[in-house]
Amino acid sequence: MHAVWKGDVSKLGVLFERHHRPLFDFLARMTGNAAAAEDLVQEVFVRVLKYRATWRDEGRFETWLFRIARNARADFFKNRGAEASIDEAAEYPSRAPLASETLARDREVARLQHALMLLREDKRELIVLARYREMKLEAIAELLGVEVGTVKVRMHRAVKELRDIFLRLNESPSWNTNNSVGSCPTA
Amino acid sequence: MEHEQLGRILPDGVDTSESDELDATWRMLGAIDSPAPNSERMRARLDAVIDAVEHTHTVPRPRLFDSYVLQGLAAAAMLVIGIGIGWFAGSDRLRALRDGESAAAVAEAERTRPAQTDASAQIAAMRSEMHDLREMVSLSLMQQQSASERLKGVTWTGQLDRPSGEVVSALLDALMHDPNVNVRLATIDALERFASREEVRRGTIQAVSQQPSPLVQIALIDFMVKTNERESMPALRRLAMDPQVNDAVRARAAWGLQQLG
Repeated sequence: MHAVWKGDVSKLGVLFERHHRPLFDFLARMTGNAAAAEDLVQEVFVRVLKYRATWRDEGRFETWLFRIARNARADFFKNRGAEASIDEAAEYPSRAPLASETLARDREVARLQHALMLLREDKRELIVLARYREMKLEAIAELLGVEVGTVKVRMHRAVKELRDIFLRLNESPSWNTNNSVGSCPTA
Repeated sequence: MEHEQLGRILPDGVDTSESDELDATWRMLGAIDSPAPNSERMRARLDAVIDAVEHTHTVPRPRLFDSYVLQGLAAAAMLVIGIGIGWFAGSDRLRALRDGESAAAVAEAERTRPAQTDASAQIAAMRSEMHDLREMVSLSLMQQQSASERLKGVTWTGQLDRPSGEVVSALLDALMHDPNVNVRLATIDALERFASREEVRRGTIQAVSQQPSPLVQIALIDFMVKTNERESMPALRRLAMDPQVNDAVRARAAWGLQQLG
């Protein structure tokens, strides 16, 4: 990043190779839409270029990068409408429906995935950062600009709410074998 | 991995049974896959951006050339030029006084003329340097992140007697792409001086139909009327007839057409 900051724009490619996968994973899980995540990763690196003068070689680069990613995602949905991601997640499953009941476990995972997409964005973000990005609590706290204790409390609430939604979906007759399992929708 | 067990990242005081339930959910989350990115396609897109930036922009160097340093340099240069001009003006005055005195004094003055010609060249060189510096400050300010700095940059262009094509291009670029409405509005004022340039005429006509902000669209329509830009009439006609366009913009476009027609 130091080279990019100094004006060597070509080094942005090196940063991309290092960081685009975790960024894509975060954005795909947050948006539920692979195509949107791809566009957003692109937008993140364009913003890195644009705002590189604001980078300070003090904090963690990853935190700065994810801060840009959060803003890019927020702007994306501000323009498109807040519910776009959830609608797409619900409407465009990535795999064919399962017929066999032997895959009950897979169906449960699909319910949980759906529950995750129904969770409020800020709560989903906490879970995605901690569970999938394996970001340390201190890094999450720095990213969100809160204390570590606050992150813990919010994490507790988020997982609890996720479980509640998941259980409600289990009881819901509308959730049936027509729903898919496994991965984030690819839109 | 540190976060595979939720219990470790929950606050103290969560009871065990609840913690176990949540932990089960947490572990099940690990079974949700994510699609793999199409890295090759994404890299190709990014390379196109890098290529465009490397070839079309002079990248502003952060910190060293930030606006405060440039403004300091500009102030210092102005001071030097001011002293220089004052000194040479003083010499001119002295010569005028001598003109009224005697033939000998005139002859003396003529002897000193080559030196004065040399001084005039120096003043011209200093003026040129000053002009270049002002351009550099304007362009640098227009690339700052802060909208108020960019606004200053646009205003600075007003101090340039004969701005280069680069400055005019930067103004047109700001008009089309600056995210801040106030900056875009200021560029319209700044571009008025260059309304006769072909690229400005084309750029502003293009902008009038592409601007997302009704305020900027209205300012551009006024610009067309003020500069009597009759080539903008088809664009204004389209605006006036488009039901999707903001009512105020449509009304202004119709007014503009009347004025130009």
